[in-house]
Parts: sequence; C-alpha cells; structure tokens
Amino acid sequence: MKTVSLLKTRSGGKLVPTIVLSSILLGACAASPTTPQAALDVREKLTELQSDPEMANNARNELRSAEEAVRIAEQPLGSGQADLADYRIYMADHMVEIARAKGTTRLLETERTRMGEQRDAARLTARTLEADRAQADAETARSSEAAAAALSAAAAADLQRRIDDLEAEATERGLVLTLGDVLFATGSAEIQGGSNRNLEKLVGFLNEYPDRNVVIEGHTDNVGSAQFNQTLSLQRAESVRRHLSDHGVERRRLTVNGYGLERPVASNESEAGRQQNRRVEVIIEN
Amino acid sequence: MKTCPTTWSRHRIPLLCVIALATLMAACAATPLPPSESLAAATNAIASAEQAGARHYAGAELEEARSQLVLAEQAVTEEAMIEAERLAHQSRVAAELALARTESAKAVEINREMERGADALDVEMRRQGEQK
Repeated sequence: MKTVSLLKTRSGGKLVPTIVLSSILLGACAASPTTPQAALDVREKLTELQSDPEMANNARNELRSAEEAVRIAEQPLGSGQADLADYRIYMADHMVEIARAKGTTRLLETERTRMGEQRDAARLTARTLEADRAQADAETARSSEAAAAALSAAAAADLQRRIDDLEAEATERGLVLTLGDVLFATGSAEIQGGSNRNLEKLVGFLNEYPDRNVVIEGHTDNVGSAQFNQTLSLQRAESVRRHLSDHGVERRRLTVNGYGLERPVASNESEAGRQQNRRVEVIIEN
Repeated sequence: MKTCPTTWSRHRIPLLCVIALATLMAACAATPLPPSESLAAATNAIASAEQAGARHYAGAELEEARSQLVLAEQAVTEEAMIEAERLAHQSRVAAELALARTESAKAVEINREMERGADALDVEMRRQGEQK
C-alpha cells in the first residue's frame, strides 16, 4: 500500500534571492511556504482518474471529496508544518485511492449486469434450441408412430388377406378353418394324395405367424359306434398335426382333440349333412 | 474549575479576581480534549472493513488502519491531542480504503466466477449445437 505519511516535504528555495530576502526580512522564518511535492503527485493521480470517463461517472462523489482533500494538501505550508503537510497528503492520497477502488467496484458491477444480460440471452438461445429440438423429436416420434401404425395397418390388411385366402371363419375362439372329408378316405385317417391346397395355405400361414397356436379338432358323422368315431376323429386330427409338423410347424403349437360324433354341424339324416359333419376343424387362436 | 481565592478578594477589588479567573480558564482551554469522536469513527471504520472481509482481501490496508489507531491512542496518552486527531483521521481513511479495496476484490472474484459460468454455458451450447 502506498502511504505518503513518511514522505517529507521538500523545502522550496527555487529562488535564491527570495530566500536571501526572506532571511533578511523574516529572520527566524526558515523558508517560504510551498506546495509539497507529494501533494503534486497525488494531484497527478487524481487528474488521471478524473480524466477517465468511466471513473468520473462511477465515482463522482468520491472524486469530489478527493478533489477537496487534494486542494487542502496543495495549500502551501512552511517547513515548520511538515507534520500537517504529511497529514493532509495522507488523507488526500487515501481518498484518491478510495475513489479509484469504488469506481472500479461499480465498473465491475455494471459489467456484471451486462454479463448477466448476455448470459440470460445465451440461456434463452440454449432453451430455444432445446425446445426446437424437443419439438423436432416429438415430430419424429409422431411420424414414426404413424409409420408404425401404417405398418401395423398394412400387416393387419395382409393378415386379413391371408385369412380370407384360407377361407377361415373368424369366431370368438379364433379363426376356424374347416377341412372337409374329401381329405380322407372313408374309415381312414390317412390324408389322401399327401397334399392339399388348403393344408398348404395353412402351413404357409402358420409359418408366417409363428406366435399363433392351433387346436386341431376331429369330427365324424353318426355312422358306426361312438367309440369308433371318437378314435377315428382323434386319428384324423393327429394326421393333420403330423402333416403340419412335417412341414415346419412346431409340435408344441399344435393341440389335438377327437370329438367323434358329439358335435355335428348339420343333420346326420341326409348324406349332405353327414358329409358336412365329417370334418377336421383347425382353430387358429387369436 | 478553580474558584477565586477568598484571601485575595477581601482587600482587593473584584476586577482582579475576574482577570485571574479568565487567565486560568484560558489556560484550561489550551489543553484540548481527546478526539473521542474521530477515534470512534476510526474504530467503526476498522470494524466495518473487518466485517466485509478486509483481513482476507486488503490485509495491508487494514493493518495500516490499525497501526494508525494505535498511534492515535498513544498520542492521546501523551496529551498530543492535535496529533491524536490527525492519526485518528488517518486510521479512518485507511480503514475506508481497506473496505473499498475489499469490495472491489470481491467484485473481481464474482465477475471472474460469472465469466467461468458463461464459458461453461458456451461450451454446453456448442456441445448441444454439435449434437444437432
């Protein structure tokens, strides 16, 4: 820290004749009163601050007080009043430094406000960016949702086409596909000809939708004993299961039941009705 | 205050007594009182500076203020009251400077902190910008 308390005032004595004259006239008085050099130094510092427009603006009152103190310090004093001179310079110097410090503080505070505003602006930009991005994300999500919906709609349409193709009937148990008795010879459980268009379509469908399980039910007409018909119906259902598993459908997806003559769909009185009753129903579960 | 000695007043005229009293009073007035107001102002200024954290931010200035106050108190004990008053004033402005420099040092710190914060925000924004 700068202190001027230790600085000594310099005796003037620029003009020798003055000193001589003074000596003669005043005798005891040692030197003529002069402005201490240190006061001039303080004045220089003060002038520097005053000429800085930002300082002048930010420390107006402090600079005014310092000006007053410097003016007092500049008052010429005799060498006998060195202590008073030191005191005045100390005060003036400190007040100039106080003005400088306060001006600096206020300048920094002004800057802070500006920085705060800048930061707010930056934050706002960031937030806007973020919001834009969020909106873009939401739009992407929406469009992908729409795409998914479209896809599932397409898939559903495809499924419907396949179901239509299978000529299956949609019931509450699932899709029911009825394989007629033409598949089997009378009294036999073997599938005729080894192949059938309806079975082929069923295999294709089940391989395309691997998460769907199937119940295969055998039914007969009322010709013959109930026991015979039950066994025959089960064997025919088993035949269909074997055919499906031979063509790549997992066995665990396939359940078989033989109902014999228990569940006719038509009258057994006529040949046409009995033919309708001899059937294997494949239920594709939902 | 001194009272007029009665032994004098008995035979002399009261005017002499008045002159003596005036002389004594003048002598009394020549010895100044301690500058208690200025000393208190210095003490308060030092306390304010300390409270603001001058010990940390403007230690030398605070120390200067304290030493000036000690000198002022010393001058009081020596009955050099004019010097005491000046020293008290010097202590006060030194403490005021300590406070002012403390405040500006704090302001510098805060601004630096804010700048760091702003830089971090810039980095964050750039990062976000790159993400996009």
